[in-house]
Amino acid sequence: MAGMTRRRGAYALRRLVRFAVALGVLMVASFAMIHLIPGDPVRASLGPAAPYELVEARRAALGLDQPLPAQFLGYVGGVLTGEFGTSFLTGERVGDVIAARLPTTLTLALAATAVALLVAVPLGMWAGVRTENGRRRGTEAAFTSVTGTAVAVPEFLYSIALVAVFAIGLGWFPPAGRAGPESYVLPVVALAIGPAAMIARMCRVETLRVLGTEYVRLARAKRLPSARLYVRHVLPGTLTATLTVCGLLLTALIAGSVIVEYVFAWPGLGQRIVESITQKDYPVAQGVILVYGVIVLTVNLLIDLALGALDPTSRLKE
Amino acid sequence: MMRTPSAWIGVSLVALMVVLAVIGPPIWGEAAERIDPGAVLQGASAAHPLGTDNLGRDLLARVLVAGRLSLALALLATLAGGLAGVVLGALPSVLPRRAARLVTATVNTLVAFPGLLLAMFIAVIAGLGARGAVLGIAAAVAPGVARLTQTLAASVAGRDYVAAARLLGVPRPLILVRHVLPNIAEPLILNLAQAMGGALLGLAGMSFLGLGVQPPAYDWGRLLFDGFSRIYVTPVVALGPAVAVALAGIGFNLLGDALARAAARTRAAGAAPAGAAPAPADPGEPDPDAVLEVRDLTVAFPGGLTPVRGVSLTLRPGEIVGLVGESGSGKSLTAAAIGGLVPYPGVVRAGALRLCGRDARTMPDRELGTALAMVFQDPMASLNPALRVGGQLAEVATVHLGASRAEAARRAVDRLGHVRIPDPERRARQHPHELSGGMRQRAVIAMGLMGTPRLIVADEPTTALDVTVQRQILTLLREVTAETGAATLFISHDIAVVGELCDRVVVMYAGRVVEELPVAELAGGAAHPYTRALVASVPGMDTDRSRPLAGIPGRPPAPGGIGPGCAFAPRCPVATSRCTAERPPLAPYAPEPGASTAHKVACWEAAA
Amino acid sequence: MIIEDLSVRFGAFTAVDGVTLPIPPGSAVGLVGESGSGKSTLARAVAGLVPYTGRIEGARRVQMVFQDPYASLDPRMTVGASIGEGLRGLGRDARRREVARLLDLVALPADLAGRYPRELSGGQRQRVAIARALGARPELLIADEITSALDVSVQGAVLNLVRTLRAELGLSMLFISHNLAVVRYVCDVIAVMREGRLVETGPAEEVVAEPRHDYTRALLAAVPRLTGERG
Ligand SMILES: Nc1ncnc2c1ncn2[C@@H]1O[C@H](COP(=O)(O)OP(=O)(O)OP(=O)(O)O)[C@@H](O)[C@H]1O
Ligand code: SF4
Ligand SMILES: [Mg+2]
Repeated sequence: MAGMTRRRGAYALRRLVRFAVALGVLMVASFAMIHLIPGDPVRASLGPAAPYELVEARRAALGLDQPLPAQFLGYVGGVLTGEFGTSFLTGERVGDVIAARLPTTLTLALAATAVALLVAVPLGMWAGVRTENGRRRGTEAAFTSVTGTAVAVPEFLYSIALVAVFAIGLGWFPPAGRAGPESYVLPVVALAIGPAAMIARMCRVETLRVLGTEYVRLARAKRLPSARLYVRHVLPGTLTATLTVCGLLLTALIAGSVIVEYVFAWPGLGQRIVESITQKDYPVAQGVILVYGVIVLTVNLLIDLALGALDPTSRLKE
Repeated sequence: MMRTPSAWIGVSLVALMVVLAVIGPPIWGEAAERIDPGAVLQGASAAHPLGTDNLGRDLLARVLVAGRLSLALALLATLAGGLAGVVLGALPSVLPRRAARLVTATVNTLVAFPGLLLAMFIAVIAGLGARGAVLGIAAAVAPGVARLTQTLAASVAGRDYVAAARLLGVPRPLILVRHVLPNIAEPLILNLAQAMGGALLGLAGMSFLGLGVQPPAYDWGRLLFDGFSRIYVTPVVALGPAVAVALAGIGFNLLGDALARAAARTRAAGAAPAGAAPAPADPGEPDPDAVLEVRDLTVAFPGGLTPVRGVSLTLRPGEIVGLVGESGSGKSLTAAAIGGLVPYPGVVRAGALRLCGRDARTMPDRELGTALAMVFQDPMASLNPALRVGGQLAEVATVHLGASRAEAARRAVDRLGHVRIPDPERRARQHPHELSGGMRQRAVIAMGLMGTPRLIVADEPTTALDVTVQRQILTLLREVTAETGAATLFISHDIAVVGELCDRVVVMYAGRVVEELPVAELAGGAAHPYTRALVASVPGMDTDRSRPLAGIPGRPPAPGGIGPGCAFAPRCPVATSRCTAERPPLAPYAPEPGASTAHKVACWEAAA
Repeated sequence: MIIEDLSVRFGAFTAVDGVTLPIPPGSAVGLVGESGSGKSTLARAVAGLVPYTGRIEGARRVQMVFQDPYASLDPRMTVGASIGEGLRGLGRDARRREVARLLDLVALPADLAGRYPRELSGGQRQRVAIARALGARPELLIADEITSALDVSVQGAVLNLVRTLRAELGLSMLFISHNLAVVRYVCDVIAVMREGRLVETGPAEEVVAEPRHDYTRALLAAVPRLTGERG
């Protein structure tokens, strides 16, 4: 037992170290982003007509006139103190932009995750139980083609379709913006459909796998009532894979939220990053991409730690 | 592959897209570029079914023309990303250890990043436009492909045939080219087909956000971008590109699914109805002394497969009966049929299937769950890894015997101790992986002892265990049988184990019982040529080392291809013409008159 | 040849611990022990497939036949190509003749050369694997549990083949099995392994008749025997 606790501790420590390393690499990447832009980013952003003095002033404000190592140290120091520079376009502090918009984006993503999980896990398990061993080919075909189609349609089409039908056509929900609770419905649905279909498919496959194991055969030989069989013997076996997919799902949702925010004019980070890239507002783009990166790494770390804590067999390998 | 409608739809959609990409620009190219100042920003009309854009160009024509660019960019991004991915994935197998680990770690981290994010990152650097978008999407495709290449290559590199090639002195690059790449090509290509759909959607998304294709060029995403700004006024203008993107996405996805399924399918049997088995003979009166009475048991699968054909067995209390035969002879399916565990779509028919005189097929779960104990081959797999050992035992008592949780837990500990698991209180609280293989098999046996077993069915319970542990489990089974008075059906392919443990031996060949005999006669008195050859082909501790072992030429028949005669005839040294024409019945065998009637054999030449 | 003081470590775990084992030319040494006792690791070290410390002398050409005949042949290569892989420096025709000769040696028809492994039974595959190994003219042939994945009725024939090959070619062998009866039948010398170490080595009949180590005795006692075998 003690050995196992120690193994788990070592595992968590390894994950943390890996997280820290990845974080460092992410900082380097987001710093390098500006420098990898061919030509002068400031000139590119302000346009060829901008006066030389303005360009130089901007360069100095960004610290671009200093040697690279000094720039990098300045960048790291800034990030650690919440100082990401100022927007070329609006002059806002990027840190303020992030602070104002991050919560809106996270609310949207978490709501969509919750909806997707609540719908998909029971649905997938049900489909798995119904179609065990190639039973009910009709159900199986319907399930796989419906979810397959749902996975294949991207968020922006869902968003547009939902806006066209429920906002413009029926007028049930607002087409854009964030106001009352009803304004959440369409964006959350648009964001949740694809991942829900994906989880449902995966849950079905996992359920089928667990149903085929020898321990379920033995549990059946014991003649347990089916409710007990499914909830106690089958469900735990599918959890690891579900959790793993949850990680992928959350990060995919973050990316999907960019598009959904854009369509619904949702005042989150996504809307802002699209704007900043098209307008070449590099400090904002840099800051927001860094934030997205940190979110992705954090989600993965949390999922890994949860998997480590859950897995009773402690086959925690690299 | 074309078995399901969804595969059909996928193939047709993708074919349609390809055709469109080829013929679209030459046919509608001109219409798509024709500027008509008199028809700007129109909605749907007869002349322009999908409306016009701000220069009066026909939107339907533009959607049809844009297909080529959309597909071409997606293909480009997939190929670039795929190539980068394969190289990244193959690198670790040729790089030195440190560098390999670095590449692996990088790939693992990148895989976690959603494609759109990577693509936006690249787009910032490479600038707005098709080039940036393609590079970005390629960067999004690459890590997944790299990870897949890596895992596939690693698994192939661990196979014995690669080790054999190394031993033969085949150089490393040649091994990669000759053994590794061919064996991973199929799943890789399959994955790229799926990635192609993802790339198409990703590019459309980038263009839709205004980050991809820039005017005057246009792809579907760009058309959608233009249409979206007008959606509140004329929603129809968004319809064309939206439908096109959706159909393309769905097409590639369904195709990928169908390909994957086709690759995974191991020539599944067609949907023919289960082979018609002869009507089971009259069940007759229950045998009052029998614990298990099986008459004329047949298990059939669709496609005319009948792996178990007319098996009859009778087990009496306190008796251990061994069921032997080679792989595929139907032993496990016989056991599964007795336990009611034959998987769908198998069909079980039997003249009688009685447990203690009552039909096992209609027995309530409560009774069957306590009267029948099953033990399977792999103790590593037969306990639920997520649940504590004690709980898995205890639930039998709470569910079937109405015991309270505390009572059940106490009984579980008691039973674990009974099968001589040391420190049962502690073991009951542990998870299966904390127990050794032998201990787990004991725990499974203890589980059967939670009720009052009348019949124990053990399907190769010691095959996965070491000899010394096997010995302990065999001893335990014997004790348990003696003490509970249950009957045990012990299935094994190892005739020596059966000979040592059992009272009676039933030999199966190709789904039928070919001989049934008391164990004392197994070594010297077997009458069926198959049984005799089986006994002779296994070396014992005192086999003459200077003489070759008896072997059985050929191999057992496939369950589909058994003729009307004796199934053993093609391999039988004493077969006659009668053997191939007529099937010998299982009949009492008595070399000398007055011998016991316990010996039965199905062989024309054995009849004394 | 001789294996001297050979050890294999995986991280902190010592799988093989200072094994010394002579294999006289032309003899068959049987290695028995439970799963996890280090038999296969020792074999792989002798074949040079895992890194080890210690010395192996006098065995320049080592070949190995693996346990699972379904995993040891490349599914995408014909039988002929698999066997031919080890035959270098031969022309097309010479190579084809050599493949035919090797197939004949393991009692398989020559026309099997054009077939794929999936068309072969387990016993046939194992013969192909043996033919492939023999093609490299090994000084030492390692057989790692070559019959344990086979059906009983096929096992005897493969064991017979191994015996004939030894007699005809004068092969030295390291024959690994968990089945003492099989090892006793095939080998001249038996080495018993436990937890990475050799606990007993001796002539086959002697080890079986008068085991000196407790563990050997336990193994022998556990071997299942057909009751009334002598009767
Ligand atoms: N679900 C199934 N669908 C179709 N055929 C099956 C199925 N299960 C088993 N079979 C076939 O039935 C035959 C008998 O299988 P069974 O598992 O009973 O053999 P066995 O005697 O237990 O063999 P082994 O010694 O390998 O365990 C085999 O040919 C097998 O391919
Ligand atoms: S019936 Fe004929 S073929 Fe079958 S075992 Fe007897 S002798 Fe051989
Ligand atoms: Mg079986």
